Amino acid sequence: MNFDPADLGWLVPYLILVVAGMLLVLAEAFFKGHDRAALVGLAVAGSVASAIASIVLYRQLGDHEVRSVMGGMITADHTGYVLSATFAVSTALVALMSPAHQREHNWALGEYYGVLLMSASGCVMLAHAGNLVTVFLGIETMSIGTYVMVALRRHSKRGNEAAMKYFLMGAFSTGFLLYGMALLYGATGTLDLAGIAHKIPGTANPGLVIAGGFLLVVAFGFKVAAVPFHMWAPDAYEGAPTPVTAYMAAAIKSAAIAAMIRLFAGALGGDIVPFGSLGWASPMVVIAGITITVGNITAVRQDNIKRMLAYSSIAHAGILLVGLSATGLGSPTGVSSLVYYIISYSVTTIGAFAVVSYVGSKGRERLHVDDWAGLATQHPAAALAMTVCLLSLGGIPPTGGFFGKFLVFKSAMDVYDGQLLWVVIVGIVNSAISVYYYLRIVTAMYFREASQPIVATRAAGLFFVMTLCPVLVLELGILPGWWLKLIGG
Amino acid sequence: MPGAFLLPALIGIPLVGAIFVICTPRAEASLHRGLGLTFTTINFLVSLAILKYFVKANDDFQLVFDVEWIPGLGAHFKTGVDGISVFLVILTTFLMPLTLLGTGGSITKHVREFIASMLILEAGMIGAFVALDLFLFYVMWEVMLIPMYLLIGIWGGQRRLYASIKFVLYTMVGSLLMLVAIFYVYVQHAHAVPDHVYTTDLVELKKVALPYNAQIWCFAAFALAFAIKVPLFPLHTWLPDAHVEAPTAGSVILAGVMLKFGVYGLLRYAIPLFPHGAQVWAPAMSILAVIGIIYGAFVAFAQDDVKKLIAYSSVSHMGFCVLGVFAMTIWGISGSIFAMLSHGLTTGGLFLGIGVLYERRHTRRLAEYGGVWTKMPVFAGLFLIITMGSAGLPSLSGFVGEFLSIFGTFNAGDTLPTPDWIPAPRLLGALAATGVIFGAIYLLFMFQKVFFGKLDKAKNGGLKDLSGRELGVFIPLCLAIFVLGVYPKPILESMEKSVIKFRAELDAHVTEPDGPAHLYGATPLPPTTMGGAAAVPPPVAQPPAGQPPRPVRQIGGGAK
Repeated sequence: MNFDPADLGWLVPYLILVVAGMLLVLAEAFFKGHDRAALVGLAVAGSVASAIASIVLYRQLGDHEVRSVMGGMITADHTGYVLSATFAVSTALVALMSPAHQREHNWALGEYYGVLLMSASGCVMLAHAGNLVTVFLGIETMSIGTYVMVALRRHSKRGNEAAMKYFLMGAFSTGFLLYGMALLYGATGTLDLAGIAHKIPGTANPGLVIAGGFLLVVAFGFKVAAVPFHMWAPDAYEGAPTPVTAYMAAAIKSAAIAAMIRLFAGALGGDIVPFGSLGWASPMVVIAGITITVGNITAVRQDNIKRMLAYSSIAHAGILLVGLSATGLGSPTGVSSLVYYIISYSVTTIGAFAVVSYVGSKGRERLHVDDWAGLATQHPAAALAMTVCLLSLGGIPPTGGFFGKFLVFKSAMDVYDGQLLWVVIVGIVNSAISVYYYLRIVTAMYFREASQPIVATRAAGLFFVMTLCPVLVLELGILPGWWLKLIGG
Repeated sequence: MPGAFLLPALIGIPLVGAIFVICTPRAEASLHRGLGLTFTTINFLVSLAILKYFVKANDDFQLVFDVEWIPGLGAHFKTGVDGISVFLVILTTFLMPLTLLGTGGSITKHVREFIASMLILEAGMIGAFVALDLFLFYVMWEVMLIPMYLLIGIWGGQRRLYASIKFVLYTMVGSLLMLVAIFYVYVQHAHAVPDHVYTTDLVELKKVALPYNAQIWCFAAFALAFAIKVPLFPLHTWLPDAHVEAPTAGSVILAGVMLKFGVYGLLRYAIPLFPHGAQVWAPAMSILAVIGIIYGAFVAFAQDDVKKLIAYSSVSHMGFCVLGVFAMTIWGISGSIFAMLSHGLTTGGLFLGIGVLYERRHTRRLAEYGGVWTKMPVFAGLFLIITMGSAGLPSLSGFVGEFLSIFGTFNAGDTLPTPDWIPAPRLLGALAATGVIFGAIYLLFMFQKVFFGKLDKAKNGGLKDLSGRELGVFIPLCLAIFVLGVYPKPILESMEKSVIKFRAELDAHVTEPDGPAHLYGATPLPPTTMGGAAAVPPPVAQPPAGQPPRPVRQIGGGAK
């Protein structure tokens, strides 16, 4: 393995996050009390700088140029930089909406921002992973930070339960992850993702590859909360502070999918003798279909908005898995559709959680659907923002969510012989179900009257997120051409 | 092309209006109403300019505006009109200001949001009428769903929550299955054409015929979406709920314009894209249409709630439109389009009339009225014209469309070379004709209950006749109904070329088993019929080997 210091240049988005994260942990000692504006500012500046660095590096690369740096540990390509910019922007938005929630719900711990950025650095590493070791490191960096953030509300019973569940499940899935990686290493003798892809066709032990692939499906199933590995998600989402929930739904899930793109579409993307690429794609597509269905049907029964959004995010993970399976089965547009979906889903879900965070205040979260009755009369802008985000989650045009689904399903339809037609039908029928529960919130907001005034959180950062996200959602849906060009679709 | 900017402008003006209205202060209700009226009126005037550029002798799409929307996916912002859609667009822009004028006053809460919803709705509806791109059409189709949901849900009646959700879910389920079919056509087309270019351009998509079985499924998916919208008989249950709970403005637009998308969608998308599928499903569709005509009429007769009565009358009247389309004769299709225009005017007018009564008396029950003529003579006279127009009195608009679609159905067996699409056309035509009689009965019954008889309800004593504003709504409407009935020629002439082209394209597809292009390789032509299809009597294509026999042959064989 040869190390060229110039390679560090390709890692700047990652390094900025790490450095800013460490600075934040130090700075926390100097900014005591409730005034955290400086911490928030540093966190946002760090994430935005990282995003800008990603954009700059993106422009350094030619179309379809893939550079393997740091001895193959890191892959620098367009997909990676678009994703790492997305994660950094998500982190910035989450950081912006956090101080208001901390203030209103009394969990003002300064370490939070440092942990957030370090966890985000794990996400960025996953976007560029070129080696099983970087995949593992990225997953762990990202997850450990999140375990901490979920547990930040120390005095909340739900928060503790959520953190415990999330941590145990996460640790358990790490076992699967390592075991899967070990088997892959055993079969191919290399940890390098490109090397694995190269060695698999000639491997003497296809069984090990298949078994390793299955274990990795399970491990990542936990990470993205795919059914039947999703049990932790609703509790963790509900118990975590709302900005952290937004971060989990947007960045963590997307980063896990990014790692899956690297691992499954990259390393395991070729034909595995004698099973073909069906080695992992066929269980994954079944999992995808079940995930979409279970996620949506369970969401219908939820009255708690955070739990509803948690199940909805499970369903969305299912759609992402459809795109991934399509990639595995040879769809040429699979990866770009996934990247687009990640961008639009991140923006949408952060917007939705920002409104959730806005509606609650002074220790009262107002998570029950009934608490939202009459929001449109009292806070029309928030209701409108939520409606746009919910329509996008439901996949109704002209929103980014619709177009994301369109791209993913199109890539699934591109698979030879219409093999994935059934899962497209499942996905689209489920969209109708999802519309039902999303519209329940819209119905509550617009069609019912409030029994008492809704005292919302007032904070500039939160307002900004609540304005920016719906606008972006509409922009992504109406003019997706620019984004498509960006991600090479 | 001259005037190409007109159609995007028709979509853009209401959208700009909506944004403009939303940005004004919340309390200025009359300002919002004024703005809404202004923008819709401007849009109407702009839509009249279409007629200036529209060439009757041209059977192709006109005023085509085409820009690439999403490169890579082949989605274009492509709009255009032909004889089938041009008057539907004008119907929309015509009804919109009248609706706002007629019902604006009765909306008192959230006026700003109301006007904005109506404007977005208008943009969506016009967009869906003029779209020539499947992706654009789907987007517009969904865009009009949400404002209507809000209209019912926010400004609706007692059971508005139930009705609004029912409306959305019904429409959603249908349109999402259509989306699956859109995906299928879109991807299959790209795989079939030589350079594998993805496109959602309708004209391009039509050039490649899908395999026989796929057409059956895809047509079913499209037809389900459209049949729900029409609504066709067993799928109509959302309509009475939606109508009863919707505010008057919602009802007028729902019945006047949105139901037309069902039939329009069949004509523009489902049948041209999947001609074989259409042929297979035609018997079922036409029989359901006839059931709907008669069932709707009977149920309408039994209603006490006037809005419900008119809602069921819509089920009945839209049945004529579907029947006319599947008769596949020039008369039938023209009649169907004309009946849509007439239905838009008359049913819109009926709902506006009920709105007038409801505003004064706050009830829609027939039993609460009687003898209103003496108090509101002007309104009664105008409402009579609308009622008669709806019932199909000759010299009013309803007659032309219904007559033509029944006539077209009746003669469906005599047109060659296309085999008859519907079973027993004469029987279906005759049954549909009874629907006209029933229609006259329940409508006159309603009119009699409301306007004739003794003025025996004390509350009706204080009814005031139409105000100037309301006269401004009803007089143009009645004039339009009258003009369409007396002099339908310009409209029928304008649609004639497009309808003939529609039929000719269909003949070209149906007489050859896989359409003219033969780009799709999955179902090879049986050698016996290749090239000789037109000479084989009857010119029904043989199903490719291994395919099940065609249902149309089993059920069909009506008047030969």
